[in-house]
Amino acid sequence: MDKMLRNKKSILVFMLPAFILFTLVLFIPIVQSVYYSFCEYKGMTAPVFIGLDNYKALISDKTFGIALKNSMFFLIFSCVSQLIIGLIYAAVLTNIKAGRNLFKNIIYLPCVLSSAALGLMWMFIFSPKLGINQLLEKMGDKEPPLWLMDTKGYITLPMWVIAFVALWQYVGQSMMLYMAQISGINKSLMEASYIDGCTKVKTFRYITLPLIKPMVATAMSLNAIGSLKFFDLIFNMTEGGPNHKTEVLATHLYQQGFKYFKYGYASAIGVVLLVLCLLVTLFINKVVKTEQYEM
Amino acid sequence: MKSSKSAAPEREFASKKKLSPIQILLYAFLILICITYIFPLLWVFNVSFKTNKEIFSAPFALPEKITFDNFSFAWTAGHLGTATLNSFIVCVAALVLSTIIGSMAAFGIARMRWKGAKLAMTYFLTGMMIPIHCVLIPLFTRFAKMGLSNSLIGLIIPYLTFSLPITIFIMTGFFKGIPNELIECACMEGANIFQIFFRICLPLSRTGLFVTGLMTFVGNWNELLLAMVFISDDAKKTLPVSLSKFVGPYNTNYSQMFAAIIIAIIPTIIVYCVFSNKIVDGLTAGAVKG
Repeated sequence: MDKMLRNKKSILVFMLPAFILFTLVLFIPIVQSVYYSFCEYKGMTAPVFIGLDNYKALISDKTFGIALKNSMFFLIFSCVSQLIIGLIYAAVLTNIKAGRNLFKNIIYLPCVLSSAALGLMWMFIFSPKLGINQLLEKMGDKEPPLWLMDTKGYITLPMWVIAFVALWQYVGQSMMLYMAQISGINKSLMEASYIDGCTKVKTFRYITLPLIKPMVATAMSLNAIGSLKFFDLIFNMTEGGPNHKTEVLATHLYQQGFKYFKYGYASAIGVVLLVLCLLVTLFINKVVKTEQYEM
Repeated sequence: MKSSKSAAPEREFASKKKLSPIQILLYAFLILICITYIFPLLWVFNVSFKTNKEIFSAPFALPEKITFDNFSFAWTAGHLGTATLNSFIVCVAALVLSTIIGSMAAFGIARMRWKGAKLAMTYFLTGMMIPIHCVLIPLFTRFAKMGLSNSLIGLIIPYLTFSLPITIFIMTGFFKGIPNELIECACMEGANIFQIFFRICLPLSRTGLFVTGLMTFVGNWNELLLAMVFISDDAKKTLPVSLSKFVGPYNTNYSQMFAAIIIAIIPTIIVYCVFSNKIVDGLTAGAVKG
């Protein structure tokens, strides 16, 4: 048997297809992308090496500044809000007696729906003359807010709206992750704490929370990377407008690369995005220490 | 043991009889939450049956008469019919290929004995952290040169590749869990390595196949950015792209756009309603491991 498992030819047969695809479609393009980011490349002509000029242009690009700010806002908002709301949902759902599956499935539903379609749906709900504003007018509000058209403030109203829609859509995933972890905790631990006189809240604080800490790291890095990659909802709700106020890194990359065909410049944005993704993953795994407890 | 068995139903019976105030509060909270989830979808569904006039004159009333004109118009003029078919072809092809290729590589890493196995695993795992945006431009220019842009094959290849890391990661875990004795036994009976893979290891890892298949299918079905960049021909567009193009600022017929949104999400909702528990558990299991 050992001979069969060490057979070089069959190892090659098993590994080669995945290896070739992975290298050609993922690894080489990444290297190319890094190279393009140092080039003047407009699509029609071959890329010409220009050093750091693209990155210098990024610094003075106002829209890039907004996009970076919005992406950071998004990252922090989704990490914090999903952690808090996801934990609350999970705690509530584990403490009710009946109908847990029904509620769980309803809250999880948007996670499997197309975020492009849901983005369009929310675009209509928050559009000036439909949805929420029709409801507000009925209740007697003469000047309802402009929602997605508003441009005031450091973090504009549309960004908040989009952030809440994203929370609405993806919180089910965090909730499920925490619920999976909570249901894995040994019941005897809980009972022991009740016998020792803990209330439910105290048990949650001192038993449940420390034990689901590893899952917090997992859920957070999923959220963080997801929010950095975030594209569909914004593209369909505002397309980065009004006046580029809701641009994030992904939409800015799309605009520069495939509207204006500045491939080199867009590649530089892509490299920034890649570096951010790697940094954030490392940071979260460092900060949220994954101590292992006996369960 | 005996006493706890008899006590449990009693306690349950007592709790059914009257809900504590805290329980009522929790239920009220949950129902409120669920309204925010269901009401927007119902609103879109309701509006999609109305005429444009009705949307503004009676926004929250039920439609005056039920017609499917909006739907049939969106289906044909928005190319949603062909788009659904395209999405289906692309996703199924990517699913089948990535499952086969991915689990083969996972088997090679988990079961075959060679020095580079760990390194290969690390190599594939880096793929999970890479955002698709970074490879968009080089892939696009390369595919354009090869004549693969504007073709479904040009979509299947990247979709399949981006599904590989998660497939390999999850399947490796499952293959490692198969007891050595089983493989030894099959070996003694004269099975070759491919028979061991297809006849023993794959069937034993059905749960893993289900989880990875579900994750890749849902992910690819909803993918917008790559499909939007790679496909510009109306006849080749996938569902999210056609929908985003049909529903836009240049279209003023709201009820048709609402109908288009409903067409785009209704297949997923139906499948979800039937298999919701399995889907939720499968996707969560995948996310936990990923």
